[in-house]
Amino acid sequence: MEALRAAFDFSDFRPTERWVSRAVAAFLLVFPLLPVSSFATATMIQFLMFSLYGMGWNTIGGYGGQVDLGKAQYVGIGAYTTAVALIRWDVPFWVSMPVGMGFAVLWSFAIGYPLFRLRGHYFAIATIAASLVLKDLFEVWDFVGAARGLEIPAHRFATPDFVRLIFKEDVYYYYVLLAFFFGGVLYMNAFRKSRLGYQLRLIKDNEDMARSLGINVHWAKVKTYAIATAFVSMVGSFHACYIKNIEPEDTMSLDLSILIALMAMLGGAGSLWGPIIGAGILIPLKSYFKEWFGARAGLVGMDLILYALIIMVVSAVEPRGIWGLVERHRARRESA
Amino acid sequence: MPALLEVTDLTKVFGGLRANDGISFTVGAGEILGLIGPNGAGKTTLFHCITGFHRPERGTVRFDGRDITGLPPHRIARMGMARTFQTYVAGGDLTVLETAMVGCFSRTASPSRARIRAREILGFLGLADLADLPIRDLPVAGQKRVALATALGTEPKLLLLDEVAAGLNPGEIGELMDAIRHVHEERGVTLIVIEHVMELVMNLSDRVLVLDSGRVIAQGLPQEVAHDPAVIRAYLGEKYAARYLEEASP
Repeated sequence: MEALRAAFDFSDFRPTERWVSRAVAAFLLVFPLLPVSSFATATMIQFLMFSLYGMGWNTIGGYGGQVDLGKAQYVGIGAYTTAVALIRWDVPFWVSMPVGMGFAVLWSFAIGYPLFRLRGHYFAIATIAASLVLKDLFEVWDFVGAARGLEIPAHRFATPDFVRLIFKEDVYYYYVLLAFFFGGVLYMNAFRKSRLGYQLRLIKDNEDMARSLGINVHWAKVKTYAIATAFVSMVGSFHACYIKNIEPEDTMSLDLSILIALMAMLGGAGSLWGPIIGAGILIPLKSYFKEWFGARAGLVGMDLILYALIIMVVSAVEPRGIWGLVERHRARRESA
Repeated sequence: MPALLEVTDLTKVFGGLRANDGISFTVGAGEILGLIGPNGAGKTTLFHCITGFHRPERGTVRFDGRDITGLPPHRIARMGMARTFQTYVAGGDLTVLETAMVGCFSRTASPSRARIRAREILGFLGLADLADLPIRDLPVAGQKRVALATALGTEPKLLLLDEVAAGLNPGEIGELMDAIRHVHEERGVTLIVIEHVMELVMNLSDRVLVLDSGRVIAQGLPQEVAHDPAVIRAYLGEKYAARYLEEASP
């Protein structure tokens, strides 16, 4: 009950922040009604997906300070659970999505339990390795289509199909995902003010002190990792229905893992708005860069160079990302 | 007085160094025990062994009637033992109030209840005005008081304080001493206090335990210990101790 009230309570943000976020929410609600291209709508769907990925990453990576570069494996688990369940047994999306989240969380315990014995860079490297191993397994696993992947036979279903989440028009996907997005923001708003949220922030700051206060640091990390995983897997399930064609190379790649981490790191790790700001900047850039440069031979991969530059600039200038810059500017103005 | 903490033959070795060498003592419920000794005597190591941060090679620690030797720190903390650290350097963005709340979360899962309890404790320690400052903006002395407030939030039976007075000016030491006394009297918390500030440790402690090179060299009432030749030797060295003792004797 208290958590529910906390989810809807934004009173600790400043008035300007509240007004800006209301304006953004209103814009997102009416966006499909505006005269926009299908390319713009597709970009917005990517933006919402990556905001949610970033919010999930932000729990363990931002508030908990554990740099996780293996989130793509859980995108894969969600996407594959939904796709396999739909293709083989005609299971509705609303059933396969929570089942996929369950699988992903179980897998996250198996991975997280040993990996959180490691710290800092070693943890980050181990998450990359774990994710790549799972991807390789999927590439040789015939039951899930091996390296060829799976295709959801969308033409078999009468659209719009809200049960299986199969639509012809992007606008349906947009609104379903927008509901997830608002749910995600509310969840994160409660999370940051929860017992686990505060405990994690102290763990990030001073693990020994956290231990001395009775916090089981290892278990707190494993739990939070599971929450992050559930977020990512949920969006993975959506991804399967939206893209309809999934293969290990695009749902479980290292690129995806890094991009997920980048959303929150650029926008501001450990703040509610961070992942949304990060996705709001990076996703349009990525889409339009691909559009402009992708067609020209020799310029493929420009987007990867851009990500690398962003990582370097963020870590050199302000490790707390764009939101960190905003807060620093505010602190300076207030002390002046 | 029933023993709340019972340390028997505790030994901790780092390489060739015996940081704690066969240490035995007890602390009664409601007591304040001062723990002193020159630098490198093994005081902080002893705290680490008692609170589970180090696993001793030999010996046992009994707390509240249970053998806690080798348990992980968080389990020991949940039984009612809290501590502060000699160095607390905060880099995070938690405010003073939020830090204190984390302590209270060991007793309640409700953020609003934790907030109320934390405000109460901060008020109690005279930190109410600093509640909304980021902890990293505080001087070290202030951070240590926040650490004390946070430890109190766990509602401990036994509290181990590791040099909370270091770096304070005389006025602040007086305030801190009042606060510690207050904690002890109002909340009935048993205390073990590592301290180099003699004014504080001699005034507060019921008993003092003196370590040197990992061993207990003296224990007793503060004034007894202060005149113990072995203690004076440990602090001043053989030569100066001899001169001092000669001058002191009539």
